Amino acid sequence: MVDFSSQPTMKGFFAPTRFEADVYDCEVTGKIPSDLNGAFVRLGGDWLYPPKFEDDSPFSMDGYINMFRFKNGIVDYKGRWVKTPRYKADLAAHKQLFGEYRNPFTDDPSVHNLDRSVQNTTPLCFAGKLFTLKEDSLPYEIDPKTLETIGPYNFHGKYRSLTFTAHPKVDPVTGEMICYGYEATGLETRDVFLYTIDKTGHVTREVRFQAPYVAMVHDIGLTQKHVIIPVFGFVSSMERLKEGKVHWGWDNTKPAYVGIIPRDGEAKDIRWFKGPSRATVHTLNARTEGEKVILEAPIFDGNPFPFFPPIDGSPWDPTKARAYIRRNTFNLASKDDGFTEEKLFEMNVSDLGRVDDRYLSLPYRYAFTAYADKQRPFDEWKAGNLGGRVNNCYGRFDLATGKMSSYFAGDTHSLQEVCFVPRKNGAEGEGYVMGVASNYAEMRSELIIADAQHLEDGDVARVILPFRATAQVHGRWMNEDELPFA
Amino acid sequence: MLTRRDFVAKLAVAGAAIGAFALAPGAACAAQGSASSVQSRTPVVSFHMDRPYIDPTGTAMPYCPPSGARSGAPIARFSEEAFRRMQCYA
Repeated sequence: MVDFSSQPTMKGFFAPTRFEADVYDCEVTGKIPSDLNGAFVRLGGDWLYPPKFEDDSPFSMDGYINMFRFKNGIVDYKGRWVKTPRYKADLAAHKQLFGEYRNPFTDDPSVHNLDRSVQNTTPLCFAGKLFTLKEDSLPYEIDPKTLETIGPYNFHGKYRSLTFTAHPKVDPVTGEMICYGYEATGLETRDVFLYTIDKTGHVTREVRFQAPYVAMVHDIGLTQKHVIIPVFGFVSSMERLKEGKVHWGWDNTKPAYVGIIPRDGEAKDIRWFKGPSRATVHTLNARTEGEKVILEAPIFDGNPFPFFPPIDGSPWDPTKARAYIRRNTFNLASKDDGFTEEKLFEMNVSDLGRVDDRYLSLPYRYAFTAYADKQRPFDEWKAGNLGGRVNNCYGRFDLATGKMSSYFAGDTHSLQEVCFVPRKNGAEGEGYVMGVASNYAEMRSELIIADAQHLEDGDVARVILPFRATAQVHGRWMNEDELPFA
Repeated sequence: MLTRRDFVAKLAVAGAAIGAFALAPGAACAAQGSASSVQSRTPVVSFHMDRPYIDPTGTAMPYCPPSGARSGAPIARFSEEAFRRMQCYA
């Protein structure tokens, strides 16, 4: 019997949904822009069964892929579980068989050696295929017509890391994908395999190196000349896993390392820079200017995730769990292993930021992300008291001028990750801001579409779902000509 | 089920004070803000969906049904840490 009643936080809007859905010709307010043809594909997680351990991470939730399919001004919605071996094993057993986050020592013996990935992080469209990504395993191929799961994919047998990042970078100039896997040869290994895959999906380059210590390497920066690899204080060890703990703990004594390797370089060419303890979970963009490599990212002061607790037993510090858009500059001409850090905006923001992907690895101007504007109203009477824990705005941050413009979702809403959809042949930043809002008053989800150049004017359209969509980690816009959608 | 109509019919016996409050539930709700400072222990009757609601707390707060689902309410009592443990990207 499935029973979530003992899960104190899985209530109200945050209760598991657990169903698959098709909604044809969704309810829309406003008008869907006629140039939006393709799909907004979201990946996140939901609990098929309650977690086996109370302190498990929400990153253990079973993957759920869903998409808003746009065609000639009409929007259809489809949502499906990612049917991993783990999902199937749990469903067959009618219970949660898998233990702590990325710790197979805590699993039920019946699933020993089964792929335990939940595939809940990022959807990827590449080389005419749709994938789900989770950094502890290979990508899973998904049928773009049905969203049914096809299975793990290894790029014609040439991708040899056991793991694949949730944040590969596609070079808009060459069409190549730069991707990697950490803990590449198994649990608790320092091995990182870095790949270049051409636009047809064939591996053209592999570089193998070791990280300074076993750590989460969640995202990278890409320039036209370099790959930037942030390594920071989420640490792990085999002893830790055998003690039955979640994979990661936070070590405040570890410096943040940033590796920089030329895109045509070898392992010997990687140079490690060292800075204060930070968490660069996600990046915005990067570029090479002469001897300088510049990375911009929403960087946390410390540990953002209380479910990966400090290893010294100290309490989790919420004041360090704030991300600010910062610029790190690495001088390759310097003999010093330090780098400079600037805070570009004084307000803290969601670290799930986006740029115009056509400018990835290139000089650019605009970044987009969600944030909480405490000056805006929130109707606790209709929505419930969320204690201010809502991202009620999307911001467009102008890195050239330091100015920002803002979209406000409403006084009963909170916004999930933003996505930028460029207008065809438009200049940088011309297009739409898109993302799902949680409507706590109506207990439903709404897809917001706003003109990125006129955010203050509000949304141009909202796609209304008659239910809560599963929480998203990442979402991506995929054009109609990139995938064979239904 | 006791309906509003039945209840009002029985008010003649219930007493004038409670009856006056029950016949004006809208006014009672509107006065809620000022009522919070009242430390009265007088039971209060109000209506929702044509059914009477008798304040069980004895704090003289008339029941005002929420106009929204208040679906964020279950997490109101949780700390920042508990909230982030649940849904760090909600």
